[in-house]
Amino acid sequence: MKRLYLILGLILAVLLALPGVLNNYWMEIFILIFFYAYLGQCWNILTGYTGNISLGHALYVGIGAYTATRLAMVFGLSPWLGMLVGGLFATGVGLVIGFLGFRFGLRGVYFVLITISFAEIGRLIALHLESLGSFMGLFIDFNPGFLNMQFRGNLPYYYISLGLLVFSLIVVRTLELSKTGRYLVAIREDEEAAESLGVNTLKYKMVAIGLSAFMTALGGTFDANRIFHLSPDRVMSMGLSIEIILRPIIGGMGTVLGPVVGSFLITLPAEWTRAFFSEMGRPGLHMVIYGFVLILAVFFFPRGIMPLLTRKLRPFFIKE
Amino acid sequence: MKEDQVKPQGIDRRTFLKTSAVVGAVTAITGFPTIVRSQPKEIVIGSIQPVTGPIPDIGIGMQRTNRMAVDDINARGGIKSLGGAKIKLLLGDHGAKEEVARAEAERFIKDGAVCLVGPFLSGPAMAIATLAEQRNIPFVIDVAAMDAITAKGYKNVFRCFPKTELFMVSIGKFLDQIIQEKKVTIKKIVVSNVGDAFGRSQGAAFIKLVKDKKYPFEIVDHIEYPLGVKDLSAEVAKIKAAKPDVLFPVTRTGDSKLLLRELYKQRVELMGIISPGSPGWYEPEHIRDLDKLAYYVLNNVPWVNPKSPVFQDVNKRFEKMYPGQYLDTNTGWGYVGVQVIADALERAKSTDPAALREALRKTNFKDHPMVGGPVVFDEKGDNINATTALIQVLPDKNLDDRVKVVLPKEFAVAPYVFPWKQLWDRG
Amino acid sequence: MDPFLVLQLALQGFLMGGVYGLIALGLSLIFGVMKVINFAHGEMMVFAMFLSITLLLWGGLDPYLSLVIVAAVMFGVGYAVQRVFVNRILDLPEAMQVLVLVGLGIIFENGTLMIWGGSDLSPKTSLALSSFRWGPVTVDVPRLIAFILAIVITLLVLLFLKKTNIGKSIRAAADNRYGALIIGVHINRLYGICFGIGAACVGAAGALLVPLMPAKATMGAPYTMISFVIVILGGMGSLIGALIGGLIIGVAESLGTVFLPSSMKQVVSFTIMIVILLFKPQGLFGGRG
Repeated sequence: MKRLYLILGLILAVLLALPGVLNNYWMEIFILIFFYAYLGQCWNILTGYTGNISLGHALYVGIGAYTATRLAMVFGLSPWLGMLVGGLFATGVGLVIGFLGFRFGLRGVYFVLITISFAEIGRLIALHLESLGSFMGLFIDFNPGFLNMQFRGNLPYYYISLGLLVFSLIVVRTLELSKTGRYLVAIREDEEAAESLGVNTLKYKMVAIGLSAFMTALGGTFDANRIFHLSPDRVMSMGLSIEIILRPIIGGMGTVLGPVVGSFLITLPAEWTRAFFSEMGRPGLHMVIYGFVLILAVFFFPRGIMPLLTRKLRPFFIKE
Repeated sequence: MKEDQVKPQGIDRRTFLKTSAVVGAVTAITGFPTIVRSQPKEIVIGSIQPVTGPIPDIGIGMQRTNRMAVDDINARGGIKSLGGAKIKLLLGDHGAKEEVARAEAERFIKDGAVCLVGPFLSGPAMAIATLAEQRNIPFVIDVAAMDAITAKGYKNVFRCFPKTELFMVSIGKFLDQIIQEKKVTIKKIVVSNVGDAFGRSQGAAFIKLVKDKKYPFEIVDHIEYPLGVKDLSAEVAKIKAAKPDVLFPVTRTGDSKLLLRELYKQRVELMGIISPGSPGWYEPEHIRDLDKLAYYVLNNVPWVNPKSPVFQDVNKRFEKMYPGQYLDTNTGWGYVGVQVIADALERAKSTDPAALREALRKTNFKDHPMVGGPVVFDEKGDNINATTALIQVLPDKNLDDRVKVVLPKEFAVAPYVFPWKQLWDRG
Repeated sequence: MDPFLVLQLALQGFLMGGVYGLIALGLSLIFGVMKVINFAHGEMMVFAMFLSITLLLWGGLDPYLSLVIVAAVMFGVGYAVQRVFVNRILDLPEAMQVLVLVGLGIIFENGTLMIWGGSDLSPKTSLALSSFRWGPVTVDVPRLIAFILAIVITLLVLLFLKKTNIGKSIRAAADNRYGALIIGVHINRLYGICFGIGAACVGAAGALLVPLMPAKATMGAPYTMISFVIVILGGMGSLIGALIGGLIIGVAESLGTVFLPSSMKQVVSFTIMIVILLFKPQGLFGGRG
């Protein structure tokens, strides 16, 4: 295992040094890779490790974004603190959804649908609240400064998003190794068996969804202060929920590096195809290609990429 | 000849000597200063529009006129003050996604864009505007109505399209005129709007106008429906129950068609429909698909100026390039956006973003195809001379000519009709 | 509150519900038999709408007539999609299935965009504007016809599944995939036919909607959503449930506008979905879990 950590450490060092040679545009792309890898990892905590698929994670992104932004606008609270408040709020919502879902025994597609329902209701409510800017959304002032989590260049955003990603990797790895993590995996593999062995499945699933929601919301605050516009159709939409789940699924759910690998493998081609085909002036073509890429990724890696990579690289890293 | 001077390594000594001799002679004879420092051969600007996503029809249209304006300018010799440098237009698609808008803008700046144009939607406009401010690259907004964008005090943002406030000032004047000239008594009105950023803000602004100006009519109902809804039967039933004299709808393209058909089917009697300014009532598809039902709807939009020779020329070629389409309140401004940039480049005599920005600030551009005065930007970046006209769809054998400017008189090509003939009495 | 307004709204919602039911029928069939959530459902319907419009513009064929052609074409499309894409993922974990169907949805939506462009198309059809008064309410003729045809098609599908051999095989395969494999049922073909029928239902629904609303490439997603709600309400895999569920949701949404601002009417549907999921997940007509 030590070899693996060494390699990962090297990769991290490269990523830390990379901005030295990247221009703003490429930093932007990496920010997107890190950011979506982060969100995917947060989602992974719930779905990868308990098996309950959530297709409404955008709700937590939105809660994080709106809460921190409103606190900043009304009380001048720094987003660094606001983001924690947003996280707590999202945890509360997540626990409610989790409670309803788990307590009422919703599995599989039924759980998916309840997460979708809550996310959509959340979005519709946000569309109506004047305090959240309703349909227009919130236009955020640009006041660069560390306390405001706003910066002129892409560099600070790069490091923050990378930092968030590394943070999530540590969280997930720690979770994996902990007792809680092992229980979660047991729940994922066979919930009834775990129950019969005396594991309080409800408690652990709630921990998973609470943690997942909290961390997802932090990402929402980061995003708000980078794009400067919040609207329910952007930060709370089904579209975002789908984007969140793509990377961990293709990368490999329930693995630590899955979302990261998935993010690199999806974001880069997606950007290239869009840049390339946009110029041709054939609207929609790059999206059709994107759809095919997703499908082919599943055909080639039906369990995600990580399981395949792990099998191939295992002898290299683990001395038998 | 100038290219040779820029790249002396690329030619042999004899040619060089020969050339410099000629240049020297020319200079001596004409006194024309030879420009020694390098001239850009092409100037890059980036167009970012919603080509995919929820409003692709508009995005594609905007891209077309952005491109057409660039082609026209290049055909006329490019930017003359920069040695005839041609404009190279990079085409971007934000698909109504703010982060994509930002990434596209970032990509174009990396590829050397000295100015950006677009993006039709207010969310992406905000994302790009903030990036433009961060990178100090000017950004000319061809269309985007939300007031908030220019309220931020960004110095790099210039908006050609009139903001919501201007829409309301105009419609107020037009309403006064209609009521006075046609001697009609309007007692009850219904305002409806589509539930997106634009619809809601336009609807709210109009309601505020009615209340502030203390019109003699009252708003008996205010109806909102979600964007993309495909069934307005319930909403129209409510409109019918409210028995208004006039309906003031703010729509997008799909719901305008639904609205008219439902009003017909449910036999809702009205004096007319006056939109405070919205898409849906003037597009070629709308005119074609709804035929007589589309007639007599009045719409308050920053329309093309039918009397402008620039419009007539551009429109004729646009109609030929894209049969079945004509220049309208969106695509027209797409053309203007690029014109304004080119005009600023001419005056700046430089592609340096700071110089370009200064030149844009001093813009006073008359040769555009839209109603209103010359494009002049205030300190916030708003075009103070942008205005709207009242257009009406009137019977005409030629489908492409049915949308006519009826007010104000200086731009009008036909008298307006009010009250209208009921939808079911049109044969 | 005007009682006639309420009656009018209820009637309109009820008639629309018939079409919703037909759309949901397709989803219910696909889910009931293959346990796959077709995230591309609404997008396939939109594709069918444009097919119908093309037949109208080129051949002058009214959607009520071209319905049969569109349904047949969509059957073929559905069969192909199932054999090529869906079949491979039937035994994969749910999340992978979601990804593939989402990918298909993207392809259908943007394929429609590429072929037909981004504008709203709403050509005139013969009956688009007719209506008649029936006592205190106005009846919208295209809506009425859509309702009647939707019911007829639903009944035909039900008959097919109950009476024909293929239909019975499909139902058998739904109950027990491995059992059916063992006894030699040509399961891939069956699944293909099943998906094809689901697609044909949604195709017919699309044709029925052409006289009622403008078609736009990006309008599919809300229809996928509402089919989910209806299928949950009616009961996964229950076809009668899909029809009844459609009628209920149609009326509920329509009446919802009386009490809530129209933009919130979707909240009504989602709330219904949550309540059903929590308290009666098998839906009104129960069914296979």
